[in-house]
Amino acid sequence: MVYELKDVGVRINGKDILQSVSCTLQKGRWISVIGQAGAGKSTFAQVITGLTPFCTGEYTHNGQSLPGDRRGKRTAVPQAGYVFQFPEQQIFETTVYKELAFALKVKGAAPDKLDEAVKSVMGQLGLPESLLQQNPLQLSGGLKRLVAIASVLIAEPELLILDEPTAGLDPLSRIALLKKLQAWQREKRRTVLFISHQIEDVAEYSDEVMIFTQGRLLAHLEVNELFLRQSKLLEQAGLPLPEPVQLLRWMEAASGRSLEPASCREEDILRLVRPVWQSRGLHHGG
Amino acid sequence: MLVFDQVDYHYRRGVPVLRQLSFTIRQGEFTSIIGGNGSGKSTLAKLMNGLLQPREGQVKLGQLNTLNPEDLRGIRERAGLVFQNPEDQFITTSVHDEVVFGLENLRVPGEQIADRVNEALRAVHMEEYAEAMPHQLSGGQKQRVALAAVIAMKPAILIVDEATSMLDPQGRQSILDVLHSLHRQGMTIIHITHHMEEILSSGRVLLLSRGEIVFDGTPSALFGNVSLAEHSLALPFAVRLHQALGLRAPLCADWKETITGLWSMS
Ligand SMILES: Nc1ncnc2c1ncn2[C@@H]1O[C@H](COP(=O)(O)OP(=O)(O)OP(=O)(O)O)[C@@H](O)[C@H]1O
Ligand SMILES: [Mg+2]
Repeated sequence: MVYELKDVGVRINGKDILQSVSCTLQKGRWISVIGQAGAGKSTFAQVITGLTPFCTGEYTHNGQSLPGDRRGKRTAVPQAGYVFQFPEQQIFETTVYKELAFALKVKGAAPDKLDEAVKSVMGQLGLPESLLQQNPLQLSGGLKRLVAIASVLIAEPELLILDEPTAGLDPLSRIALLKKLQAWQREKRRTVLFISHQIEDVAEYSDEVMIFTQGRLLAHLEVNELFLRQSKLLEQAGLPLPEPVQLLRWMEAASGRSLEPASCREEDILRLVRPVWQSRGLHHGG
Repeated sequence: MLVFDQVDYHYRRGVPVLRQLSFTIRQGEFTSIIGGNGSGKSTLAKLMNGLLQPREGQVKLGQLNTLNPEDLRGIRERAGLVFQNPEDQFITTSVHDEVVFGLENLRVPGEQIADRVNEALRAVHMEEYAEAMPHQLSGGQKQRVALAAVIAMKPAILIVDEATSMLDPQGRQSILDVLHSLHRQGMTIIHITHHMEEILSSGRVLLLSRGEIVFDGTPSALFGNVSLAEHSLALPFAVRLHQALGLRAPLCADWKETITGLWSMS
């Protein structure tokens, strides 16, 4: 299962929104998409799902060409599920149960399989079954978002595209959701395309990162390569360094030593920085 | 002064959402409200400007009471609410009209309107989008417009319900800067957020859990005394760093300043 773009461009009302984007989305990878507001992240995601037609270039799925439609028709992209930026954009039914069952019915699932699938996805996301008979639009902002994610996850897409999925979630729910999505993605070897402004989450959960600036793909690289060795790219894209990486840089400057953590994850950075700090006799500091 | 006096609220009978809330927000305070999803923050915000009325108890803004229909207009003028979902707020077809709409409702004299609209759009860096359609903007841009529409009305109290959740880091910082600068000009700010690092720079934090206020105090007292995980919250990086390095220095919003100071002393 590979999705591949070659030189894809999108032009809307005479304006280039995306320009010559080439990339390969491999099976079983968590790929984060970052960039400033307006850099083209959501448009890129919509091209991947076929919601936005592309004007130039080529799009293939497992080597099969998908039509780039110049007349504004949508492309059916096999096995791709899209969670919109605002949950209200994809919630239509009057109960949570119906909302979740809808996605499966569309896929032609047998009616006797519905209950089981609904329960299983609720469990996966830690949602209580008491929600099933409630109106999804009357839930709090955070719960609404989880329902929107569940309604996409239930169809078990090969490629799951999440546009700012943690906006509006409280800190613990945010961490729990990311961990659950990661477990699902790894266990089933699915591909996740994760659009996020939370640079710390990107450093924590990704395998690869794609950076967009002004409608172009500036770079697509391994997460550790980006945050530990090529962080200049972030500057170039007007993005901040994750706080743990800032700490690492600070410590390198203060101690005059070059530090090489096992990964760009916070845990690995703190593990490396702590002894350097303590070696300065600072463990009683302050 | 905004006073909550033993306020109860429910949407459906038998399902309490807010319970026995009593607190006072003084003029000029910068208060953050935090709490898990569904803890009642947005409901609380809507009670503050009379969009919802308490089932029990009362909400007073100075002499005005949200239970008195004739006070509601005055309350809405003084307490401006920026919604969690900007789409809930838009009514017109251009960014410019969106900001004008509120001002006309307040019967702001016509000759002042243009200036106030420009000023508000400038504050949120959206002046170039005055003619754009609100529904065609990006998520973060919508949030900026929603904020501009409310600050143009110059409310005495500004209540922002997660107004930075869709913004990129720069955008988020610039909105926070707007809030702090309005605060310096004397506006009372009530900031509802899930970003724990954002609360470090506010004077007071209210923690809502299952419809009750379980903490009311300064950010550093919060991190020292409350089990955050119980309330679906997590520590911000600055506090995790303090703990990892065993720092006893007082917590400040800028952790780099703290460790630089300590390092140079040793
Ligand atoms: N219009 C409504 N009708 C019925 N119940 C509602 C309505 N709005 C909110 N609720 C319920 O009230 C409770 C509190 O919701 P509220 O939106 O105030 O929470 P919140 O703290 O703002 O959550 P979040 O962080 O997710 O935005 C939730 O259980 C929610 O489902
Ligand atoms: Mg809310």
